[in-house]
Amino acid sequence: MRPTNRGGRAIVLAALTGVFAAPPLAAQEYQVDLNAERTVRFISRASIEEFDGVTDKIDGYVLIDGPALSADVGGDDTEIYLEVDLASIDTGIGLRNRHMRDNYLEVQRYPYASYRASIVRVTAGPGGAFRVDSRGAMTIHGVTRPVEIPCDVTPEARGYRARCSFQVLLTDYQIEIPSIMFLKLSNEIRLELDFAVAAVGGGGPQ
Amino acid sequence: MKRSIFLAVATAVVLVPLTVSGQDRPTRWQRRGQPTAIPVTVFHSTQSANLPTAETLAGGEWLFEISHRFGLIDSGTGGFYGLDGPVVNRFGLAFAPTDRLLIGVLRSNAFDNVELGAKARLFDSGGAVPVIVAVAGGIAWNTQAPEGDPGFEDNETQAYAQVILNALVGGRLAVGVVPSWVRNPDPFATTADNALAIGLNGQIYLSELVSLFGEWVISDEQAGLGHDTGSFGIELETGGHFFKLLVSNSQRMNPSQVLSGTSSPVAANQLRFGFNITRILTF
Repeated sequence: MRPTNRGGRAIVLAALTGVFAAPPLAAQEYQVDLNAERTVRFISRASIEEFDGVTDKIDGYVLIDGPALSADVGGDDTEIYLEVDLASIDTGIGLRNRHMRDNYLEVQRYPYASYRASIVRVTAGPGGAFRVDSRGAMTIHGVTRPVEIPCDVTPEARGYRARCSFQVLLTDYQIEIPSIMFLKLSNEIRLELDFAVAAVGGGGPQ
Repeated sequence: MKRSIFLAVATAVVLVPLTVSGQDRPTRWQRRGQPTAIPVTVFHSTQSANLPTAETLAGGEWLFEISHRFGLIDSGTGGFYGLDGPVVNRFGLAFAPTDRLLIGVLRSNAFDNVELGAKARLFDSGGAVPVIVAVAGGIAWNTQAPEGDPGFEDNETQAYAQVILNALVGGRLAVGVVPSWVRNPDPFATTADNALAIGLNGQIYLSELVSLFGEWVISDEQAGLGHDTGSFGIELETGGHFFKLLVSNSQRMNPSQVLSGTSSPVAANQLRFGFNITRILTF
Protein backbone atom coordinates (compact mmCIF):
# COMPACT_ATOMS: atom_id res chain seq x y z
CA MET A 1 0.00 0.00 0.00
CA ARG A 2 1.39 3.26 -1.06
CA PRO A 3 1.82 5.69 1.74
CA THR A 4 -0.10 8.97 1.45
CA ASN A 5 1.03 12.36 2.54
CA ARG A 6 -2.17 14.23 3.31
CA GLY A 7 -0.30 16.87 5.27
CA GLY A 8 1.92 17.71 2.30
CA ARG A 9 -1.07 18.00 -0.04
CA ALA A 10 -2.76 20.33 2.37
CA ILE A 11 0.26 22.59 2.42
CA VAL A 12 0.40 22.65 -1.38
CA LEU A 13 -3.30 23.45 -1.43
CA ALA A 14 -2.79 26.25 1.03
CA ALA A 15 0.08 27.64 -1.01
CA LEU A 16 -1.92 27.55 -4.23
CA THR A 17 -4.87 29.17 -2.52
CA GLY A 18 -2.57 31.89 -1.31
CA VAL A 19 -1.12 32.46 -4.77
CA PHE A 20 -4.47 32.79 -6.49
CA ALA A 21 -6.25 34.57 -3.69
CA ALA A 22 -3.72 37.30 -3.05
CA PRO A 23 -4.43 40.78 -4.48
CA PRO A 24 -2.25 41.95 -7.38
CA LEU A 25 1.32 42.16 -6.28
CA ALA A 26 2.04 45.56 -4.78
CA ALA A 27 -1.02 47.22 -6.35
CA GLN A 28 -0.96 50.93 -5.66
CA GLU A 29 -3.82 53.37 -5.52
CA TYR A 30 -3.34 57.01 -6.41
CA GLN A 31 -5.96 59.66 -5.75
CA VAL A 32 -6.34 63.04 -7.36
CA ASP A 33 -4.34 65.41 -5.18
CA LEU A 34 -6.78 68.08 -4.07
CA ASN A 35 -3.93 70.15 -2.66
CA ALA A 36 -2.15 70.39 -5.99
CA GLU A 37 -3.09 72.59 -8.93
CA ARG A 38 -5.82 71.07 -11.09
CA THR A 39 -7.36 72.35 -14.29
CA VAL A 40 -10.06 70.96 -16.52
CA ARG A 41 -10.56 73.12 -19.57
CA PHE A 42 -13.01 72.69 -22.40
CA ILE A 43 -12.47 74.68 -25.54
CA SER A 44 -15.27 75.54 -27.94
CA ARG A 45 -14.31 76.94 -31.32
CA ALA A 46 -17.59 77.87 -32.99
CA SER A 47 -17.74 79.98 -36.12
CA ILE A 48 -19.13 83.00 -34.28
CA GLU A 49 -17.37 82.80 -30.96
CA GLU A 50 -14.58 80.96 -29.25
CA PHE A 51 -14.51 80.45 -25.53
CA ASP A 52 -13.09 78.25 -22.82
CA GLY A 53 -14.70 76.79 -19.74
CA VAL A 54 -12.51 76.06 -16.75
CA THR A 55 -12.87 74.29 -13.44
CA ASP A 56 -10.58 72.76 -10.85
CA LYS A 57 -13.25 70.42 -9.52
CA ILE A 58 -11.81 67.12 -10.69
CA ASP A 59 -11.51 64.13 -8.39
CA GLY A 60 -10.98 60.39 -8.66
CA TYR A 61 -8.35 57.71 -8.46
CA VAL A 62 -5.96 55.55 -10.45
CA LEU A 63 -5.20 51.97 -9.47
CA ILE A 64 -2.14 50.36 -11.04
CA ASP A 65 -0.85 46.80 -10.83
CA GLY A 66 2.49 47.69 -9.40
CA PRO A 67 4.05 50.04 -6.90
CA ALA A 68 4.86 52.65 -9.51
CA LEU A 69 4.20 53.42 -13.15
CA SER A 70 6.28 51.45 -15.61
CA ALA A 71 6.01 49.93 -19.06
CA ASP A 72 4.79 46.74 -17.39
CA VAL A 73 1.69 48.41 -15.98
CA GLY A 74 -1.60 47.90 -17.76
CA GLY A 75 -4.52 45.59 -18.28
CA ASP A 76 -7.61 44.65 -16.38
CA ASP A 77 -5.93 45.00 -13.00
CA THR A 78 -5.62 48.74 -13.55
CA GLU A 79 -8.45 51.15 -13.06
CA ILE A 80 -9.00 54.84 -13.65
CA TYR A 81 -11.96 56.80 -12.37
CA LEU A 82 -12.19 60.55 -12.81
CA GLU A 83 -15.15 62.85 -12.35
CA VAL A 84 -15.67 66.55 -12.97
CA ASP A 85 -18.19 68.73 -11.14
CA LEU A 86 -19.94 70.35 -14.10
CA ALA A 87 -21.76 73.10 -12.19
CA SER A 88 -18.39 74.59 -11.30
CA ILE A 89 -17.38 75.30 -14.91
CA ASP A 90 -16.66 78.97 -15.45
CA THR A 91 -16.78 80.30 -19.01
CA GLY A 92 -15.94 83.85 -18.00
CA ILE A 93 -19.52 85.15 -18.32
CA GLY A 94 -22.11 84.35 -15.69
CA LEU A 95 -24.95 84.26 -18.19
CA ARG A 96 -23.08 81.81 -20.39
CA ASN A 97 -22.32 79.67 -17.35
CA ARG A 98 -26.04 79.47 -16.70
CA HIS A 99 -26.70 78.53 -20.31
CA MET A 100 -24.09 75.77 -20.04
CA ARG A 101 -25.55 74.49 -16.80
CA ASP A 102 -29.23 74.72 -17.64
CA ASN A 103 -29.54 74.37 -21.38
CA TYR A 104 -26.74 72.06 -22.41
CA LEU A 105 -25.32 70.03 -19.55
CA GLU A 106 -28.48 69.97 -17.39
CA VAL A 107 -26.35 69.75 -14.30
CA GLN A 108 -29.26 69.48 -11.90
CA ARG A 109 -29.95 66.04 -13.39
CA TYR A 110 -26.38 65.16 -14.33
CA PRO A 111 -24.01 66.94 -11.93
CA TYR A 112 -20.86 65.01 -12.93
CA ALA A 113 -19.04 63.98 -16.06
CA SER A 114 -17.09 60.82 -15.37
CA TYR A 115 -14.53 58.56 -17.01
CA ARG A 116 -14.02 54.96 -15.97
CA ALA A 117 -11.26 53.10 -17.75
CA SER A 118 -8.27 50.82 -17.56
CA ILE A 119 -4.76 51.43 -18.74
CA VAL A 120 -4.06 49.93 -22.14
CA ARG A 121 -0.42 50.83 -22.55
CA VAL A 122 2.34 52.67 -20.76
CA THR A 123 5.23 53.91 -22.85
CA ALA A 124 8.33 55.20 -21.16
CA GLY A 125 9.65 58.48 -22.42
CA PRO A 126 12.64 60.70 -21.70
CA GLY A 127 13.28 62.10 -18.27
CA GLY A 128 11.15 59.58 -16.43
CA ALA A 129 8.01 60.65 -18.25
CA PHE A 130 5.40 58.25 -19.56
CA ARG A 131 2.74 58.18 -22.18
CA VAL A 132 -0.30 56.46 -20.70
CA ASP A 133 -3.06 55.29 -23.02
CA SER A 134 -6.34 54.36 -21.41
CA ARG A 135 -9.57 53.01 -22.78
CA GLY A 136 -12.94 53.16 -21.10
CA ALA A 137 -16.30 54.85 -20.92
CA MET A 138 -17.09 58.55 -20.63
CA THR A 139 -20.42 59.58 -19.15
CA ILE A 140 -21.73 63.08 -19.82
CA HIS A 141 -25.33 64.26 -19.67
CA GLY A 142 -26.40 60.76 -18.64
CA VAL A 143 -25.00 59.19 -21.82
CA THR A 144 -22.08 56.76 -21.73
CA ARG A 145 -19.78 56.36 -24.71
CA PRO A 146 -16.50 54.50 -25.28
CA VAL A 147 -13.48 56.79 -25.25
CA GLU A 148 -9.71 56.46 -25.45
CA ILE A 149 -7.68 59.10 -23.69
CA PRO A 150 -3.91 59.58 -23.97
CA CYS A 151 -2.09 61.33 -21.15
CA ASP A 152 1.44 62.55 -20.70
CA VAL A 153 2.52 61.66 -17.18
CA THR A 154 5.50 62.93 -15.23
CA PRO A 155 6.60 61.81 -11.77
CA GLU A 156 6.28 64.16 -8.81
CA ALA A 157 7.24 63.87 -5.18
CA ARG A 158 3.94 62.36 -4.03
CA GLY A 159 2.84 60.70 -7.23
CA TYR A 160 2.41 61.87 -10.80
CA ARG A 161 1.09 64.78 -12.81
CA ALA A 162 -1.08 63.91 -15.78
CA ARG A 163 -1.84 66.11 -18.77
CA CYS A 164 -4.50 64.72 -21.07
CA SER A 165 -6.09 66.10 -24.20
CA PHE A 166 -8.90 64.67 -26.25
CA GLN A 167 -12.02 65.64 -28.14
CA VAL A 168 -15.71 64.84 -27.71
CA LEU A 169 -18.75 65.58 -29.81
CA LEU A 170 -21.65 67.02 -27.85
CA THR A 171 -24.12 65.26 -30.10
CA ASP A 172 -22.62 61.92 -28.99
CA TYR A 173 -23.93 62.76 -25.54
CA GLN A 174 -27.33 63.98 -26.69
CA ILE A 175 -26.52 67.58 -25.94
CA GLU A 176 -28.53 69.59 -28.41
CA ILE A 177 -27.33 72.93 -29.64
CA PRO A 178 -29.84 75.37 -31.15
CA SER A 179 -29.27 75.44 -34.89
CA ILE A 180 -30.08 79.12 -35.42
CA MET A 181 -28.06 82.26 -35.76
CA PHE A 182 -27.28 82.44 -32.05
CA LEU A 183 -25.20 79.25 -32.17
CA LYS A 184 -22.04 79.99 -30.24
CA LEU A 185 -21.19 76.56 -28.91
CA SER A 186 -19.25 74.19 -31.09
CA ASN A 187 -20.27 70.57 -31.36
CA GLU A 188 -16.60 69.65 -31.19
CA ILE A 189 -15.25 70.27 -27.72
CA ARG A 190 -11.59 69.82 -26.90
CA LEU A 191 -10.98 68.78 -23.32
CA GLU A 192 -7.68 69.37 -21.57
CA LEU A 193 -7.00 67.92 -18.15
CA ASP A 194 -4.07 68.79 -15.93
CA PHE A 195 -4.02 67.24 -12.49
CA ALA A 196 -1.81 65.45 -10.01
CA VAL A 197 -2.36 62.12 -8.29
CA ALA A 198 -0.82 61.24 -4.95
CA ALA A 199 -0.08 57.74 -3.73
CA VAL A 200 -2.39 56.42 -1.04
CA GLY A 201 -0.56 55.04 1.98
CA GLY A 202 2.75 56.60 1.25
CA GLY A 203 3.79 54.57 -1.77
CA GLY A 204 4.61 56.12 -5.07
CA PRO A 205 7.28 56.50 -7.66
CA GLN A 206 10.10 57.59 -5.36
CA MET B 1 -1.26 16.24 9.64
CA LYS B 2 -4.22 17.75 11.41
CA ARG B 3 -2.29 20.96 11.76
CA SER B 4 -1.61 21.02 8.00
CA ILE B 5 -5.26 20.53 7.15
CA PHE B 6 -6.19 23.25 9.62
CA LEU B 7 -3.65 25.55 7.98
CA ALA B 8 -5.10 24.92 4.53
CA VAL B 9 -8.65 25.57 5.64
CA ALA B 10 -7.68 28.68 7.54
CA THR B 11 -5.79 29.99 4.54
CA ALA B 12 -8.77 29.46 2.30
CA VAL B 13 -11.21 30.98 4.77
CA VAL B 14 -9.10 34.10 5.21
CA LEU B 15 -7.84 34.70 1.68
CA VAL B 16 -10.74 33.74 -0.55
CA PRO B 17 -13.04 36.48 0.80
CA LEU B 18 -10.20 38.93 0.31
CA THR B 19 -10.01 37.92 -3.31
CA VAL B 20 -13.70 38.51 -3.84
CA SER B 21 -13.72 41.88 -2.15
CA GLY B 22 -10.58 42.83 -4.01
CA GLN B 23 -12.25 42.19 -7.33
CA ASP B 24 -15.25 44.25 -6.28
CA ARG B 25 -13.28 47.38 -5.52
CA PRO B 26 -9.90 47.47 -3.91
CA THR B 27 -9.73 51.27 -3.85
CA ARG B 28 -10.16 53.53 -0.87
CA TRP B 29 -11.31 56.57 -2.83
CA GLN B 30 -14.62 58.13 -1.96
CA ARG B 31 -16.11 61.33 -3.33
CA ARG B 32 -14.80 64.28 -1.39
CA GLY B 33 -17.27 67.15 -1.20
CA GLN B 34 -20.68 67.98 -2.61
CA PRO B 35 -21.48 69.16 -6.13
CA THR B 36 -21.18 72.91 -6.62
CA ALA B 37 -24.34 74.74 -5.61
CA ILE B 38 -26.22 76.13 -8.60
CA PRO B 39 -27.02 79.84 -8.28
CA VAL B 40 -30.71 80.68 -8.03
CA THR B 41 -32.12 82.32 -11.15
CA VAL B 42 -35.63 83.68 -11.70
CA PHE B 43 -35.54 86.30 -14.45
CA HIS B 44 -32.59 85.78 -16.75
CA SER B 45 -32.01 89.46 -17.44
CA THR B 46 -31.28 92.24 -14.96
CA GLN B 47 -34.29 94.20 -16.16
CA SER B 48 -37.68 93.84 -17.73
CA ALA B 49 -38.76 96.57 -20.16
CA ASN B 50 -38.31 99.27 -17.52
CA LEU B 51 -38.54 97.56 -14.15
CA PRO B 52 -35.50 96.01 -12.53
CA THR B 53 -35.39 92.31 -11.78
CA ALA B 54 -33.56 90.83 -8.82
CA GLU B 55 -30.96 89.31 -11.12
CA THR B 56 -27.43 90.65 -10.88
CA LEU B 57 -24.23 89.83 -12.70
CA ALA B 58 -21.23 87.73 -11.79
CA GLY B 59 -18.65 89.71 -9.86
CA GLY B 60 -16.32 91.65 -12.13
CA GLU B 61 -18.71 91.82 -15.07
CA TRP B 62 -19.89 94.96 -16.84
CA LEU B 63 -23.21 95.57 -18.54
CA PHE B 64 -23.66 97.97 -21.43
CA GLU B 65 -27.12 98.96 -22.54
CA ILE B 66 -28.66 100.88 -25.39
CA SER B 67 -32.42 101.31 -25.53
CA HIS B 68 -34.83 103.24 -27.76
CA ARG B 69 -38.49 104.20 -27.62
CA PHE B 70 -39.88 105.44 -30.93
CA GLY B 71 -42.81 107.60 -31.96
CA LEU B 72 -46.42 106.46 -32.04
CA ILE B 73 -47.13 103.37 -34.10
CA ASP B 74 -50.37 105.09 -34.99
CA SER B 75 -48.43 107.56 -37.12
CA GLY B 76 -48.77 104.99 -39.89
CA THR B 77 -46.68 104.88 -43.03
CA GLY B 78 -46.10 108.65 -42.91
CA GLY B 79 -44.11 108.30 -39.70
CA PHE B 80 -43.03 104.78 -40.58
CA TYR B 81 -45.05 103.53 -37.64
CA GLY B 82 -43.10 105.69 -35.24
CA LEU B 83 -39.69 104.56 -36.34
CA ASP B 84 -39.04 107.99 -37.92
CA GLY B 85 -39.03 109.36 -34.41
CA PRO B 86 -38.69 111.41 -32.40
CA VAL B 87 -36.74 108.81 -30.49
CA VAL B 88 -35.96 108.68 -26.83
CA ASN B 89 -32.75 106.80 -26.27
CA ARG B 90 -30.93 105.60 -23.24
CA PHE B 91 -27.39 104.47 -22.63
CA GLY B 92 -26.43 102.57 -19.54
CA LEU B 93 -23.31 101.15 -18.00
CA ALA B 94 -23.25 99.01 -14.89
CA PHE B 95 -20.60 97.13 -12.97
CA ALA B 96 -20.86 94.23 -10.54
CA PRO B 97 -18.24 94.49 -7.76
CA THR B 98 -19.59 91.21 -6.41
CA ASP B 99 -22.11 88.60 -7.46
CA ARG B 100 -24.76 90.36 -5.38
CA LEU B 101 -24.21 94.05 -6.09
CA LEU B 102 -24.70 96.06 -9.24
CA ILE B 103 -23.95 99.76 -9.56
CA GLY B 104 -24.47 101.83 -12.65
CA VAL B 105 -25.32 104.99 -14.49
CA LEU B 106 -28.16 105.61 -16.94
CA ARG B 107 -28.46 108.55 -19.27
CA SER B 108 -31.59 109.32 -21.28
CA ASN B 109 -32.20 112.20 -23.64
CA ALA B 110 -35.65 112.72 -22.08
CA PHE B 111 -34.80 115.91 -20.16
CA ASP B 112 -31.21 114.65 -20.29
CA ASN B 113 -31.98 112.52 -17.28
CA VAL B 114 -28.87 111.10 -15.64
CA GLU B 115 -29.26 108.53 -12.91
CA LEU B 116 -26.84 106.83 -10.56
CA GLY B 117 -28.29 103.62 -9.20
CA ALA B 118 -27.46 100.47 -7.32
CA LYS B 119 -29.09 97.10 -6.80
CA ALA B 120 -28.28 94.58 -4.09
CA ARG B 121 -29.42 90.98 -3.98
CA LEU B 122 -30.37 90.31 -0.37
CA PHE B 123 -31.85 86.85 -0.28
CA ASP B 124 -32.43 83.90 -2.53
CA SER B 125 -33.92 80.49 -2.10
CA GLY B 126 -34.02 77.51 -4.45
CA GLY B 127 -36.45 74.64 -4.34
CA ALA B 128 -39.72 74.16 -6.18
CA VAL B 129 -40.40 77.90 -6.37
CA PRO B 130 -37.11 79.80 -6.43
CA VAL B 131 -37.35 83.24 -4.86
CA ILE B 132 -34.99 86.21 -4.92
CA VAL B 133 -35.35 89.43 -2.96
CA ALA B 134 -33.35 92.51 -3.87
CA VAL B 135 -33.41 96.24 -3.23
CA ALA B 136 -32.58 99.03 -5.64
CA GLY B 137 -32.27 102.76 -5.38
CA GLY B 138 -30.86 105.77 -7.11
CA ILE B 139 -30.71 109.47 -7.57
CA ALA B 140 -31.47 111.30 -10.81
CA TRP B 141 -30.81 114.70 -12.26
CA ASN B 142 -32.87 116.18 -15.08
CA THR B 143 -30.16 118.32 -16.54
CA GLN B 144 -32.04 119.85 -19.46
CA ALA B 145 -34.81 122.24 -18.45
CA PRO B 146 -37.64 122.81 -20.88
CA GLU B 147 -37.64 126.31 -22.40
CA GLY B 148 -39.37 128.88 -20.23
CA ASP B 149 -39.81 126.66 -17.19
CA PRO B 150 -37.61 128.08 -14.44
CA GLY B 151 -39.36 125.97 -11.80
CA PHE B 152 -37.95 122.86 -13.39
CA GLU B 153 -34.44 124.13 -12.97
CA ASP B 154 -34.97 124.50 -9.22
CA ASN B 155 -36.52 121.09 -8.86
CA GLU B 156 -34.54 118.88 -11.12
CA THR B 157 -33.33 116.21 -8.68
CA GLN B 158 -35.24 113.00 -8.13
CA ALA B 159 -34.64 109.83 -6.11
CA TYR B 160 -36.20 106.42 -5.86
CA ALA B 161 -36.06 103.22 -3.86
CA GLN B 162 -37.46 99.81 -4.70
CA VAL B 163 -37.93 96.38 -3.19
CA ILE B 164 -37.80 93.64 -5.81
CA LEU B 165 -39.58 90.36 -5.13
CA ASN B 166 -39.12 87.73 -7.84
CA ALA B 167 -40.31 84.12 -8.01
CA LEU B 168 -40.12 81.36 -10.60
CA VAL B 169 -43.22 79.22 -11.00
CA GLY B 170 -43.14 75.92 -12.80
CA GLY B 171 -39.62 76.45 -14.03
CA ARG B 172 -40.67 78.75 -16.87
CA LEU B 173 -42.84 81.58 -15.52
CA ALA B 174 -41.01 84.36 -13.70
CA VAL B 175 -43.10 86.89 -11.81
CA GLY B 176 -42.11 90.04 -10.00
CA VAL B 177 -43.56 92.64 -7.67
CA VAL B 178 -41.67 95.89 -7.22
CA PRO B 179 -43.02 98.27 -4.56
CA SER B 180 -41.38 101.63 -5.21
CA TRP B 181 -41.03 105.09 -3.73
CA VAL B 182 -40.20 108.17 -5.74
CA ARG B 183 -39.02 111.48 -4.43
CA ASN B 184 -40.10 114.42 -6.56
CA PRO B 185 -42.05 112.51 -9.21
CA ASP B 186 -42.93 115.72 -11.06
CA PRO B 187 -39.90 117.90 -11.65
CA PHE B 188 -42.20 120.48 -13.30
CA ALA B 189 -43.70 121.22 -9.90
CA THR B 190 -42.09 123.96 -7.86
CA THR B 191 -41.94 121.83 -4.73
CA ALA B 192 -40.76 118.27 -4.24
CA ASP B 193 -43.27 115.60 -3.32
CA ASN B 194 -43.29 111.88 -2.63
CA ALA B 195 -45.12 109.20 -4.58
CA LEU B 196 -45.56 105.47 -4.48
CA ALA B 197 -45.72 103.01 -7.31
CA ILE B 198 -46.02 99.28 -7.67
CA GLY B 199 -44.44 97.48 -10.57
CA LEU B 200 -45.73 94.11 -11.69
CA ASN B 201 -43.89 92.05 -14.24
CA GLY B 202 -43.89 88.57 -15.67
CA GLN B 203 -41.94 86.62 -18.22
CA ILE B 204 -42.53 83.19 -19.67
CA TYR B 205 -39.51 81.36 -21.03
CA LEU B 206 -40.54 79.45 -24.13
CA SER B 207 -37.09 78.06 -24.86
CA GLU B 208 -33.50 78.71 -23.91
CA LEU B 209 -33.50 81.60 -26.40
CA VAL B 210 -36.97 83.05 -26.53
CA SER B 211 -39.31 84.45 -23.91
CA LEU B 212 -42.30 86.77 -23.72
CA PHE B 213 -42.55 89.47 -21.08
CA GLY B 214 -44.95 92.07 -19.80
CA GLU B 215 -44.89 94.71 -17.11
CA TRP B 216 -47.28 97.19 -15.59
CA VAL B 217 -46.33 100.08 -13.34
CA ILE B 218 -49.17 101.40 -11.20
CA SER B 219 -48.30 105.00 -10.36
CA ASP B 220 -49.65 107.83 -8.27
CA GLU B 221 -51.33 110.27 -10.62
CA GLN B 222 -49.25 113.37 -11.32
CA ALA B 223 -50.11 116.48 -13.28
CA GLY B 224 -49.64 115.54 -16.91
CA LEU B 225 -48.56 112.03 -15.92
CA GLY B 226 -51.90 110.50 -15.15
CA HIS B 227 -51.50 107.01 -16.55
CA ASP B 228 -49.86 103.76 -15.62
CA THR B 229 -47.13 102.38 -17.82
CA GLY B 230 -47.56 99.11 -19.66
CA SER B 231 -44.96 97.37 -21.79
CA PHE B 232 -45.04 94.02 -23.57
CA GLY B 233 -42.53 92.28 -25.74
CA ILE B 234 -40.31 89.41 -26.72
CA GLU B 235 -36.82 88.74 -25.45
CA LEU B 236 -34.03 86.87 -27.20
CA GLU B 237 -31.01 85.86 -25.16
CA THR B 238 -27.63 84.61 -26.21
CA GLY B 239 -24.42 83.88 -24.35
CA GLY B 240 -23.87 87.52 -23.50
CA HIS B 241 -26.74 89.56 -24.98
CA PHE B 242 -30.38 90.24 -24.27
CA PHE B 243 -32.47 91.69 -27.07
CA LYS B 244 -35.90 93.00 -26.07
CA LEU B 245 -38.35 94.12 -28.71
CA LEU B 246 -41.43 95.69 -27.21
CA VAL B 247 -44.40 98.04 -27.37
CA SER B 248 -45.11 100.53 -24.61
CA ASN B 249 -47.23 103.57 -23.90
CA SER B 250 -44.25 105.29 -22.29
CA GLN B 251 -41.47 106.94 -24.18
CA ARG B 252 -39.50 107.54 -21.01
CA MET B 253 -37.41 104.73 -19.58
CA ASN B 254 -35.33 105.77 -16.61
CA PRO B 255 -36.65 104.54 -13.23
CA SER B 256 -37.47 107.96 -11.78
CA GLN B 257 -39.44 108.74 -14.92
CA VAL B 258 -41.33 105.48 -15.36
CA LEU B 259 -42.28 105.26 -11.68
CA SER B 260 -43.84 108.74 -11.92
CA GLY B 261 -46.38 107.66 -14.56
CA THR B 262 -46.83 108.56 -18.17
CA SER B 263 -48.89 110.98 -20.17
CA SER B 264 -50.90 108.60 -22.31
CA PRO B 265 -52.94 105.49 -21.61
CA VAL B 266 -52.25 101.97 -22.75
CA ALA B 267 -54.37 102.14 -25.89
CA ALA B 268 -53.85 101.00 -29.46
CA ASN B 269 -53.25 104.51 -30.72
CA GLN B 270 -50.79 105.36 -27.92
CA LEU B 271 -48.31 102.53 -28.24
CA ARG B 272 -44.74 102.84 -29.44
CA PHE B 273 -42.15 100.39 -30.59
CA GLY B 274 -38.99 100.11 -28.59
CA PHE B 275 -36.03 97.94 -27.87
CA ASN B 276 -33.50 97.28 -25.14
CA ILE B 277 -30.18 95.68 -25.96
CA THR B 278 -27.76 94.72 -23.22
CA ARG B 279 -24.34 93.20 -23.55
CA ILE B 280 -22.32 91.64 -20.75
CA LEU B 281 -18.67 92.56 -20.94
CA THR B 282 -15.62 91.18 -19.21
CA PHE B 283 -12.16 92.66 -19.28
